[in-house]
Amino acid sequence: MRFKFSPRLISALVVAAIIIWVVVQNWGGKPLDSRNISSWLVVGIALGGAYAITAGGLVVTYATTGIFNFSHAAIGCFLAFFYWQLVTKNGVPVVLAIIITLGIVAPAIGIFLDRLIMRRLRDAALVVQLMVTVGLMLTFMGLTLTIWKPTTPRTLPQFFKDTDGVRIGEVVATWHRIITVVVALAVAVFLRWLLYRTRLGISMRAVVDSRSLAGLTGAKPSVVSGASWALGCITAGLAGILIAPESGMVVDNLALVIVVASAAAAIAQLKSIPMAFVGGLIIGLASSFSSTFMSWGKEWTYSNEAIPAVILFIALLFLPQARLETGKIRLTKRTERLTKPWEAGLGALVMIAIVGAWANGWIPWFSGTNFGQRSAGWLGYGISYFVTGLIMLSLVPLIGWAGQVSFANFAIAGIGAVLFSHFGGQNGDPIGILWVMLVCAPLGLVIALPALRLKGLYLALATMAFAEFADKVIVRHPKMIDPGATGVLYKPLEIFGFRLSTDAVDRKAFLMFLVIVFAILFFLLELLRRTRWARRWIALSDSPAASATVGVNLTTTKMTVFMLSGAMAGFAGCLFGLQKGALSVDSFPLFAGLPLVLLLAVQGVRYPVAAFMGVIGLASFPALYQLLGKPSWLTAVELIGPGIAAVAMAFRPEGAVFYSGRDLAGLLPWRADAREEKALMVAKEREMNIGKDEIGDMGITRPFTPDKIAQLDRVLDITDEVDEHPMVPTGGAS
Amino acid sequence: MSALLEARDIVVRFGVLQAVSQASLDVQPGRVTGLIGPNGAGKTTFFNVITGLQEPTAGRVHFDGKDITGKTPFKRARLGIARTFQKLEVFGSLSARENILVAAEQRKTWDRSGFDPKQVTDEILESVGLTDVSEFMVGTLPTGTARLVELARALATNPKLLLLDEPSSGLNEEETEEMAALLRRLVSTGLAVLLVEHDMSFVMGTCEYIYVLDFGSIIATGTPTEVQNNPMVQAAYLGTEEVAS
Repeated sequence: MRFKFSPRLISALVVAAIIIWVVVQNWGGKPLDSRNISSWLVVGIALGGAYAITAGGLVVTYATTGIFNFSHAAIGCFLAFFYWQLVTKNGVPVVLAIIITLGIVAPAIGIFLDRLIMRRLRDAALVVQLMVTVGLMLTFMGLTLTIWKPTTPRTLPQFFKDTDGVRIGEVVATWHRIITVVVALAVAVFLRWLLYRTRLGISMRAVVDSRSLAGLTGAKPSVVSGASWALGCITAGLAGILIAPESGMVVDNLALVIVVASAAAAIAQLKSIPMAFVGGLIIGLASSFSSTFMSWGKEWTYSNEAIPAVILFIALLFLPQARLETGKIRLTKRTERLTKPWEAGLGALVMIAIVGAWANGWIPWFSGTNFGQRSAGWLGYGISYFVTGLIMLSLVPLIGWAGQVSFANFAIAGIGAVLFSHFGGQNGDPIGILWVMLVCAPLGLVIALPALRLKGLYLALATMAFAEFADKVIVRHPKMIDPGATGVLYKPLEIFGFRLSTDAVDRKAFLMFLVIVFAILFFLLELLRRTRWARRWIALSDSPAASATVGVNLTTTKMTVFMLSGAMAGFAGCLFGLQKGALSVDSFPLFAGLPLVLLLAVQGVRYPVAAFMGVIGLASFPALYQLLGKPSWLTAVELIGPGIAAVAMAFRPEGAVFYSGRDLAGLLPWRADAREEKALMVAKEREMNIGKDEIGDMGITRPFTPDKIAQLDRVLDITDEVDEHPMVPTGGAS
Repeated sequence: MSALLEARDIVVRFGVLQAVSQASLDVQPGRVTGLIGPNGAGKTTFFNVITGLQEPTAGRVHFDGKDITGKTPFKRARLGIARTFQKLEVFGSLSARENILVAAEQRKTWDRSGFDPKQVTDEILESVGLTDVSEFMVGTLPTGTARLVELARALATNPKLLLLDEPSSGLNEEETEEMAALLRRLVSTGLAVLLVEHDMSFVMGTCEYIYVLDFGSIIATGTPTEVQNNPMVQAAYLGTEEVAS
């Protein structure tokens, strides 16, 4: 059996060799003396301590509720600002401020989120779970940015900043850092005590092992999940307060701690709290090592910040292969039939007609208002929305069909845009688009490679890490975007009689070109949905185990969809570049890519038409601003929009297109089937909604006294009325 | 007659728990072989070992004269092993017809006999009686029908060996009888069937040979009558004190 470990050993050696090579290449020249080493360790351990706290909390929440909280660090960021407000603005004593922030506000946020949203997600699809927390992340970031405007610089004082600290060897450890380490140790001991010595903790661990069996032990799932969300928010806030004085009160930086926490969680295989602490420490030490000893030069200026993302990638390489899980099938409530080719073609024409009519000023109502002026500015908005729409379209087969949640497509599009400025865009050569697509297809694959053999959540983490890496390292390389160069990177592109450029006179043609391309891709995707490729992708997403046992090679099947999606994103990227005209090094941050995934998911990620609805959605906010005369309440709505989207997803996981499409299709004269299905659906939904939770919420608990049984019977009668199929026991142990 | 499937001395350990210990089993073509045992005896784990979803700690699996231990599930499917699952593993957001089509199209990648996947799908839909619901999303179908979809999907790979994990669970009496008839029809064409089942009358009515698994070990083998009269089997099922040792 020993030889089995050799592939891992070889990859470990390769990774180690690469790391050593990178370190040697970029060595800053500081001697490895005791002074430098102790300074590295002091900074690294303190940083690692703060990271460990937030990672530990993230893992506790994931392990007990099964939901990976992408908003973890954003909540921590919000709490750090809240704490800053109390301490520096309102003059609340530090201890009291900590009690208010971490003892009251943080658990309140956690319990509120659990009550309102998270409980509904317990059995939701991975896409839905992830999108909801991404929506919350954007909401908390937006809230923080609005309440505490970034124009005012803020600093959060370190603890005991006026004291000297302690001399360790030849360096001084500030009290803030010592406190960070002590607090990290205390949190570790506390979590250990909580999970192994208290009744609540034992219930939480029971939930980790088997969510259904935990119910039998008498643990109340609602108490357990509420407690773990509260705990998660407290650790996030604690880490935020400890990190903010070191990193600065910058929302993006504090929210990006999620990459760190995810990397540590990956090292912990999403379940081991001690390993999450070790992971946090490793990242802290690695970052500190880099800032102490390395000199990245001007080609790789931001590499330091990409270290957590790289560690996350490496961790994924060494995770054990996931077993093909069975028994995780969610019976979907979908009843609709496939779109017929002629219907898809009609849809494509309608899209072109709507946008064409608007762009040419044929819609009188729009023409009269500010909204409909079709100024160059508005046409420009339209172009950028459709470019975004093309990126969204690239996500439909990947996320919607194959169930592979990726946050990297915006980054791929960004890389495509940059590449196009080198491959033909600079001379107006349309063939360059093909080259970009040929590069971006395998790029999509490479990102997915470490996660192909792992479960879906790791893929989301890998793509997030890649998006961060692309932003900090790839596009910032001077060979990619030269920060010294100014002006337009692309020559106007002549293609099929359309002239694509940023010039105001060309915008209508550009928009028409985009909507036609968009409509064609929409149509092709609808055709693709009817082919064996799409069927196989959906099969893979619905049941990997069953796919494998009918002979589907899961790895190569996933590879095909990643390549398709990568090529589509690269194509969108070329147009992104043309639309922008010039690119700056910070055009493609991780956070810019998340809203469009969320927007697509809210519309219904399985449906190509959702990308069009997403475009309309993007246009609606500026349009409403114009129409209503820039009211301030609309800003607030826009701000919490992602949060609303998140809540909407929790209640309507299939997306707006699905729910409204069901009703709208019924209006079409030839869709009697849709009307019938709607009726069936409503019945089915009512039946499905009577689950364990509802029974729990009605206060029906054991022991089942006769009146409780009568109450249950009343509930179940509802299902009998609408369900003509006899109640049959489902599978499972009999 | 040499066996189509030979599983030899299979051991599966999860940490300290031994789910399957030194269990061996043969499956012959053209008949239904049963694998029975109380809950938690390791039946599904054994199935997973045969189909490659679970790597055994020790032991070998031979199929059609070849050692397939360590082969991935999809390669085994290509050799002719198909299965259904205890808990439904249908492709819920595809229609019944698409569920079967996925398997039939997949078979194209290794079966060069020039068949038409669409035609094969239609034939199978017809033979298991799913034609009426073929356009419905499987996620909306009742359990009994969805089980038939799973079976039809397995058949679409044109297997030599079919493993059925509790095919009658979730079925009513009438459907169970239909399932038994279908199985008898299938084995008459030379297919080998191995099934795990709790419904004893179903097992006794369909299986020609039975293995009894208890705490991961085969405690009895034989024809239905032999097994029924075996005191160790009765002890395992009724939970009386151990008889053997």
